[in-house]
Amino acid sequence: MLRRQFLTGCACCGLLGRSSTLLAATPGPLPARLERPEPGSDEGGLWSLLSREEERLKRSRFLLRDGALNAYVARLACRLAGDHCPDIRVYIVRSPFFNASMAPNGMLQVWTGLLLRMENEAQLAAVLGHEIGHYVGRHSLEQLRDAKSRTALGQFLGMALGAAGVGAAGSLAQLALLAGMFAYSREHEREADRIGQELIATAGYPPIEAAKVWQQLVAEVKAEAEWSGDAGSRSIFFASHPDPEERSQAMANRAATMNGDGGDPASAAYAGQIRGHRRQWLDDELRRRKAGETITLLERLLRQSDDGETRFFLGEAFRLRAADGDAARALREYAAAEPRSDCPPEMYRSRGMLQRQAGDTAAASASFQRYLSLRPDADDAEMIRSYLQEGI
Amino acid sequence: MSRWLLVLVVALLSGCAGMSKVGPGEVTVRDSLSVTLDGAWNQYSIGLTRKSEVWTLDGLPLDRLVFHVGIADGEALAELPQRKDRQVPKYQTTMQAHEIVEMYEVFATHDGSSFQRQKLAPAPFAGGDGFRFEFTRVRKSDELEMRGVGYGTVRGGKLYLVIFEAPRSHYYARNVGRFEAVVSSVRIRG
Repeated sequence: MLRRQFLTGCACCGLLGRSSTLLAATPGPLPARLERPEPGSDEGGLWSLLSREEERLKRSRFLLRDGALNAYVARLACRLAGDHCPDIRVYIVRSPFFNASMAPNGMLQVWTGLLLRMENEAQLAAVLGHEIGHYVGRHSLEQLRDAKSRTALGQFLGMALGAAGVGAAGSLAQLALLAGMFAYSREHEREADRIGQELIATAGYPPIEAAKVWQQLVAEVKAEAEWSGDAGSRSIFFASHPDPEERSQAMANRAATMNGDGGDPASAAYAGQIRGHRRQWLDDELRRRKAGETITLLERLLRQSDDGETRFFLGEAFRLRAADGDAARALREYAAAEPRSDCPPEMYRSRGMLQRQAGDTAAASASFQRYLSLRPDADDAEMIRSYLQEGI
Repeated sequence: MSRWLLVLVVALLSGCAGMSKVGPGEVTVRDSLSVTLDGAWNQYSIGLTRKSEVWTLDGLPLDRLVFHVGIADGEALAELPQRKDRQVPKYQTTMQAHEIVEMYEVFATHDGSSFQRQKLAPAPFAGGDGFRFEFTRVRKSDELEMRGVGYGTVRGGKLYLVIFEAPRSHYYARNVGRFEAVVSSVRIRG
């Protein structure tokens, strides 16, 4: 199922729908706050269901509870949403996939795999702005009222209610899967793209960053297709969204008519906010074993910031891929990581393992000794000591 | 007619169909490994593959013992749905204990569960040298906090891995002793 969820970003709900020329008609300010729907209406029924889901989400063990990071993302969403700020609640979910979704009741989920992939605050703002675009555009209500969607809604309610007895995560997983039923029309996606891009430009960010989000994603997906043959074609994302390259080009063209690359993308501010979480997100990323995507991602992050942590993880991605020449590539990255202050001590362990496999016992021994001196209480210290005792 | 259909459906839904009893006494696992049991376990038929078996004491959501036996160079521990071949890690004879656990992590997290290794140390297993690891995992399907322990060894270039996992509260403590007793009786056959 996770395979299907990959890149479902922005495919989720966003139920309240109406005008398709929101910001075009009123550049700058968003429309007035949305009223809570009548409980007896079709919209009201879905709203109350989602409110129950939100209560479960609040208790989820996969919710990232770091106060500072939550406050940061919520502040950014608020800044973009203007008067709608009190109606939008941000939840950061630990999951290594590119995904964000806005439910019609204002529940905005952002997954950690998306946060890892954003190069700066402007890119995150573009994604949040896009989701806010679906929300204020009341896109899902248009979907709901479309005769073709009524059957889908019936199935959605039935399955979601059935899943309610399963437990929080089961139910949420169902919701994520079922979100595909609410995949927006391509027109809605284009409109949300436009709204998001206008919101970030108004907030002073370079509008070109919205286009870059999609360019980056396309590069990852292409690299994975080349490496594993997984073209991502089965993803809901590619079935329901406009062609990402076309979409990216449209946003690049629009950026040229706006402020282009003018404005501060707030790269340092963003890096500072996610710094304490990056290691866990990168560990989660490596476990996906999508070497094409992960290596492309890390090489891009490295071009942005050549630091020890990123070098180490790029080395790890090569070591785990274990294709011809990858051990040498990994060792090169570890060597580049070593002199940097933020190089994780685990680099010495990984390097030791590769040196041990290559039969370079003296070097392996030195690497393991160094790891033990830096992490004397590591959970695997006994194992490492046994490698040393075996004479390696 | 419809009554019999109902009975059949109820029987299938109740899960009876998937279990069979193993032990007490000597039991062979996939013709590759034998254990001596002091009590009975339940073998889950759906977990049966050519090189693995799944056992439980109190039912699969509550405890699970998985055997991976005789995994050869280039083979995967299990199939992963909707993944291309290159996206599934394979066992390699050059792997060290760390890398075997790293490989296991991919299978333990493919459904979105979180995984944290807690301990990795050398340990006797199957009458020779091996390793033992402990981990915690938040299971995605129900968000239960799981606790697990595994033993591994390589014989004749083939990997043998035995893992037990149960909810941290109650069931792990209740059944981990029975698992350790199984582990201490493991013998690799010919």
